Amino acid sequence: MATGASGNTAIRARGLTRRFGDHVALDRLDLAVPERTTFGLLGENGAGKTTFIRLLTGFLLPSAGDVAVFGVSAATQPDVVHRNIGFVMETSRLYPELRVHAFLRFCGGIRNLGGDALETAVASAMERFQLGAVRQRLIGNLSKGYQQRVSLAQAFLHDPALVIVDEPTSGLDPVQQRDVQDVLASLGGEHTVLLCTHDLREAETLTDQVAVLRSGRLIAEGPTGEILGTGDALALFRPGEDPA
Amino acid sequence: MRPLLALVRKEFASLFGAPTAYLTLTMVALVTAIIFFERLKVYNQILIVYATNTMGGFDTDTIPDHINLWDTVFFPVMEALGVTLLAAIPIVTMRVFAEERARGTDELLLTTHLSPWQIVLAKFAVTYAFVVLILAASFVYPATAIEQGGLGLEHLAAVFTGLALLGLGIASIGLVCSAFTSSQLVAAVSGWAAAFVFWDFGWAYSFLNESTANVLERIALHPRFGAFSEGIVAVENVAYFAAISLVAMALARFSFDLRRVGH
Repeated sequence: MATGASGNTAIRARGLTRRFGDHVALDRLDLAVPERTTFGLLGENGAGKTTFIRLLTGFLLPSAGDVAVFGVSAATQPDVVHRNIGFVMETSRLYPELRVHAFLRFCGGIRNLGGDALETAVASAMERFQLGAVRQRLIGNLSKGYQQRVSLAQAFLHDPALVIVDEPTSGLDPVQQRDVQDVLASLGGEHTVLLCTHDLREAETLTDQVAVLRSGRLIAEGPTGEILGTGDALALFRPGEDPA
Repeated sequence: MRPLLALVRKEFASLFGAPTAYLTLTMVALVTAIIFFERLKVYNQILIVYATNTMGGFDTDTIPDHINLWDTVFFPVMEALGVTLLAAIPIVTMRVFAEERARGTDELLLTTHLSPWQIVLAKFAVTYAFVVLILAASFVYPATAIEQGGLGLEHLAAVFTGLALLGLGIASIGLVCSAFTSSQLVAAVSGWAAAFVFWDFGWAYSFLNESTANVLERIALHPRFGAFSEGIVAVENVAYFAAISLVAMALARFSFDLRRVGH
């Protein structure tokens, strides 16, 4: 079983299955994500990546199997899991009516930070993600690149052991994509990062290991170089084709 | 407790960060004021008619008892305020849960230290506070004016309590409708429809047997308000509105579980 620098497993899914009516979104997934690595979860749209994230955060319940975060089941103890995770959602999932600083204070508050700890965490996140210039701007008026920085900043406020990043560069222009990728690259080694993306170049640049989903099934898993560096990596995404 | 308070603060910021809150507050206060002055004009015209017909001036002996400020002006205005709340409150409640779902920010809330119960409590508490604010803004002027007419403060307090509970009852229904959809339009329309149905079942009595009609009478919103307008704060009626609130919160909480199970 794969392990990271600390020798522990951050995420472990066993027989994880999720059905929506007759549709099987995730089919008996077995997966282990080592601690303190940047792990890429790849797949085309509809492969099951978002469903996996929602099961991982306890937002959805599995139809069968289980997924645990640092040994704690997300299905039965989501509140414990939530203390250890930060979640970076797609750009639009923010509060456009709030100002950046107020939003980060709010996000710190709902992660049980208060007083000096909250002020320090917000100041640190603003500096780390270079948000000082837009501190008093309404989130709805920011560029998509800055909105994604805000989204990243809120996920790191409470210094979580696991950060889940869902399609971080989706809808961004090339400059904004590079900007966000640079930020993500700087996080390596400090946290366990689960990066969900369908951008192969992004996965190659940022991740240590990857798993590839297709139609809800795990079709490949291993070090990024081995999975994406040889053969026709795009074959992993084409229905009906076996990976090279 | 800290996450709950943080969410309460954010809910207030979101509420007053959108024009809907100001528009609703203005609309209810304005409609109430217009009805109040219209009723006051009618009252004055009645007095003039009596004065002219009886040649008795405004001597109280010549004016029937039922022509008084509270029966002719205040209570009709309060009835109208109740109906205005029925129209206005679903506009406030429609966004509370539905907007979070539509934006996907409910996932943000549900992956933090907040429990689903805390989310429900914070959203209900802020909405309730806003409903009371709407009422206070609409109620104070007619109440102050009428208080000069001799209706005691205790009676006024009972009417305000009744209106507030009626408003919270309508808000509870609207919030439940908002909790089960991601469309604000669906939340508003279903909120109006459900609140209208629960307002008074009088329209259905002719189709129903007596026992069913009695049951419906007991669960209707408007008849409960009637006792408060007479100055009576009955425990039974307060308990009724509290029960509506608790059931609504439980249903809103259940909507989170329903999403986890999915379909």
